[in-house]
Amino acid sequence: MKASLLLLQAGIAVLGAPLVSGFIRKVKNALRMRQGASLGQPYYNIAKYMAKEEVVSEATSWIFRWTPSIVLGSTVAALMFVPVFSFSLSAPGMGDVLTLFFLFSLGRFFLALAGLDTGSAFGGMGSSREMFIASFVEPVAILSVAVVAGHSASPQGGLMACSMGMSFSGMVAAAALFMVVLAETSRIPVDNQETHLELTMIHEAMLLEYSGPSLAMLETAAHTKQLIWFSLLGAILWPWPVGSSAALSDIAAAAAFFVLKIVLCAVIVGLTEVSLAKMRLFRVADFLGLAFLFSVLALVISGLGY
Amino acid sequence: MTLFLLTGIMILTYAMLVCQRVPALIQNFRLQSLFLFLVTLDFAFRQKEAGIFVVAGLLLLVKVVLIPSFLNHLVKKIRVDERLGLFLNPLLSLIAALFLTWGASVFCSWFLGTSPTAVFAAFVVSITVVLVGFFIMVFRMKALTQIVGLLVMENGIFLLASAITGGMPFFVEIAIAFDVFVCAIITGIFMYRINKVFTHIEVHRLTDLKG
Repeated sequence: MKASLLLLQAGIAVLGAPLVSGFIRKVKNALRMRQGASLGQPYYNIAKYMAKEEVVSEATSWIFRWTPSIVLGSTVAALMFVPVFSFSLSAPGMGDVLTLFFLFSLGRFFLALAGLDTGSAFGGMGSSREMFIASFVEPVAILSVAVVAGHSASPQGGLMACSMGMSFSGMVAAAALFMVVLAETSRIPVDNQETHLELTMIHEAMLLEYSGPSLAMLETAAHTKQLIWFSLLGAILWPWPVGSSAALSDIAAAAAFFVLKIVLCAVIVGLTEVSLAKMRLFRVADFLGLAFLFSVLALVISGLGY
Repeated sequence: MTLFLLTGIMILTYAMLVCQRVPALIQNFRLQSLFLFLVTLDFAFRQKEAGIFVVAGLLLLVKVVLIPSFLNHLVKKIRVDERLGLFLNPLLSLIAALFLTWGASVFCSWFLGTSPTAVFAAFVVSITVVLVGFFIMVFRMKALTQIVGLLVMENGIFLLASAITGGMPFFVEIAIAFDVFVCAIITGIFMYRINKVFTHIEVHRLTDLKG
């Protein structure tokens, strides 16, 4: 019963994740007084890629062919460790939030290797930039989540969000995590999803050699990863303890709250993206340094018990 | 809700130390004042006092609209180099600010004992804002930043007063708002004259003038 609910939750989240990207695009276009593509555009893109033929370079090894499955698999597995609809549904006894970050770095490792694998200049550049940013992002993410976990006395994603009230340290940690989310979902001050200009792209550069169903898998993984980050951020920013039981009405209420949280996160991200300019790559160190500082600040404040 | 706004002020205060250009700093100050206005509005709704609404409106008018646009106008008019001139680079400034906040929070937990989270947060944030304003005044070269630093300190004191003591008397608040505005205008004009006479507004070069 519980396992099937968990799988159902993961399935719904994966299917719904492209909608979040479409919604953010819609928000950005509304702010720029433009019509923009429809909400379902990410779905159309994925359907288009699925129908196309795949081209794989002869110079590539098994890494290039296996990476889409590994990235998508690890991302969907990571979905089990964050509170999505119901906190009781996140997998207990399988691991805690550190497992989440491990699964993310597993996907990133293979994606970076695949970027290098084809030997094209862009792919390698994207991989090197991705790793440069990851080295800043991971400590911040782990430290700020650790602060929240320490405050709620549980390192498990679901229980953590369930037992935590609003706290000052949690808010500051959420600020740090928000900057991490911008970097991880390749949003504007760090990366730009809307362009394929060689000077700016990071995430897109690694995917440049992929086509067809593989590209569809990688895109789905990126959408899902974004949903995971948003749900983690939402659980820390608005820790309403709903859905702690497995009763159906509780789950429905939690799902409604979850959708509300994701919409709020998407609007905030859209606003930030429209109002900021893309940074030079080496200013990103300053930006994520600020994020690291916030997470240390959250640690200091939580040390005093707030 | 208050906690959100206070955290917002905290973030903007830290972001001020990362600014490397004068317009960015002014924009940041404008946003910080906007958040301060929201905090005051929130406070006014909870206290249900007409006086605080007026003070909040005045804050919006003076610190969000008038002073930043005056400063922007001034920057355009004196046409100096936009860079702030940092004595301490952004990352080191941030680390210094972290120590300031740490000191503030230790002081608060010693001074207040155990208190509700919102009170503690307001206390820590306001003291941090005051100290960071002071920091900006000392460690940035352009004389314009001295005005901004002073205004930031004033924001911190305002927050401290409204969060801890429930706001100063109505007439005192109005007097302070006008004082701040006049102060910004006078120092602005002063800056303009300095720039005309010496063709720069850099503080460390002005010290050479001492006999």
